[in-house]
Amino acid sequence: MANVTTGSAPVTYNEEVVRKFIIAAIFWAVVAFAVGCYLAAELTWPELNLGYSFTNFGRLRPVHTSGAIFAFGGSMLFGTSMYVVQRTCQVRLWGGSALANFIFWAFQFFIVMAALSYVLGFTEGREYAEPEWHLDLWLTMIWVLYAIVYIGTIIMRKEPHIYVANWFYLAFILTVAVLHLGNNMAVPVSFFGAKSYSLFSGTQDAMVQWWYGHNAVGFFLTAGFLGMMYYFIPKAANRPVYSYRLSIFHFWSLIFLYIWAGPHHLHYTALPDWTQILGMTFSVMLWMPSWGGMINGLMTLSGAWDKLRTDPGLRFSVTAVGFYGMSTFEGPVMAIRDVNALSHYTNWTIGHVHSGALGWVAFISFGAIYYLIPVLWKRDAMYSVKLISWHYWTATLGIVFYITSMWVAGIMEGLMWRAYDAQGFLQYSFVESVVAVHPFLMIRLFGGLFFLLGALIMVYNAYKTIRGPRSAASMLPNAALAAGE
Amino acid sequence: MDNQTANSIVGFMMVPLGLLGLLLAARAVDVEIEIFGYGLVIFAFLFGFSTIKRVYDYRDAARAIAHKEAGHG
Repeated sequence: MANVTTGSAPVTYNEEVVRKFIIAAIFWAVVAFAVGCYLAAELTWPELNLGYSFTNFGRLRPVHTSGAIFAFGGSMLFGTSMYVVQRTCQVRLWGGSALANFIFWAFQFFIVMAALSYVLGFTEGREYAEPEWHLDLWLTMIWVLYAIVYIGTIIMRKEPHIYVANWFYLAFILTVAVLHLGNNMAVPVSFFGAKSYSLFSGTQDAMVQWWYGHNAVGFFLTAGFLGMMYYFIPKAANRPVYSYRLSIFHFWSLIFLYIWAGPHHLHYTALPDWTQILGMTFSVMLWMPSWGGMINGLMTLSGAWDKLRTDPGLRFSVTAVGFYGMSTFEGPVMAIRDVNALSHYTNWTIGHVHSGALGWVAFISFGAIYYLIPVLWKRDAMYSVKLISWHYWTATLGIVFYITSMWVAGIMEGLMWRAYDAQGFLQYSFVESVVAVHPFLMIRLFGGLFFLLGALIMVYNAYKTIRGPRSAASMLPNAALAAGE
Repeated sequence: MDNQTANSIVGFMMVPLGLLGLLLAARAVDVEIEIFGYGLVIFAFLFGFSTIKRVYDYRDAARAIAHKEAGHG
């Protein structure tokens, strides 16, 4: 716990819960990446399904997606939001350490139970919202407590202004609550059984699913991590946000536009055409706030670009913003119906998702982790800057292998599926397209293994830092914040 | 909310959670709810006792600091 004097009484921050979330995030990152690599191998060599139900691709896939998004990403969001809200409001986390501790362990319990439930074959069959009703209720309880703690801390703040990072975290907390409740409206068959049926059916069910699915990307994987960007990049670069006005514009336009873009996942389906066009239009309009945010993040480095040579942790954060710009350009392009006619159901989509998930979400998280570990454990710096650099280059190389192979595979699949011969028959059978993409699936696996290797380097570096000696400054009375604040 | 009140509220919350877990495990019609029920019992048990331990650890630490400040340490 760190002490800081704010003009009146000294504040003791709750850093214990933040430390736990950061350790959990690192642990789940390795698990999610490892399962991802195994799944990539299964897709390349289907024999690796092994013939068991619990090693089947269909059961392991949600373990990977939930592991990456909710276990790794969620732990990062919980941890950094609890850190940022305390520092920017100059008060201790509201609700006492027991409540924060409960949120941490209850969330880890949720993750383990959800993973077990997937491998046992229990699922609602809703993408990124697979857990059955009892786990949904458990998560709702955690989320309500989290919102109470977060909002309670903001209400008790000693700083008159609410810093923009908190706005993004708040949008993430409140919107994810609405999405979770809306998407998971289901009727259980029995109070003592896991099976439930959605309240919606047919096209409406698909629309609700993708209203949730796209906004899980928008508010979980974007808004929350933008909160991270707006706090950790200025801190690591030791520069103010380039334009605070632009950050407010970024915030309001992003949250207004994102919520309408879901229908682009259902182009050329039974969904009414006007709804598809609406989704496409709002997706294209999303370019504006996304790139506004990217420019704001990058320009914050103005006058401090030299730090990229010496601080590979900051390099992670800045590269993440670059990937954010790239994937928020690619997304609207793919949402255009004519492009979607080619890209949908192909590996291009997988490449797009991973340029966002690995390049943006994971990289901005790694940047925050490398900033936070010395601060939270009161160390002078990370154990090895060179190892951070090694992590950076292996991970970057991994992403490049991953997304380029998926682009090539995806566009090739799209073109093969729509090719006709002179007589008007389909030129290729489906299996021919599967054979054609096989080399690219191997390259994808190779890229994933590189990314996993980078994460293992981070684990070693984090372990050595935490086991290393405390900074001399932290030994002094009332100097607990000297490590980074 | 002070730490003492938070510890009490969260600690007592483990009782209904643990009981709910027992009920679910006892009457489960499938393995998923059975595992979840037993999981809930174990979670409530461990978290409840760890909360009690935290309270006493905190008191011990406070007593040690007071002892040191009084010039006995």
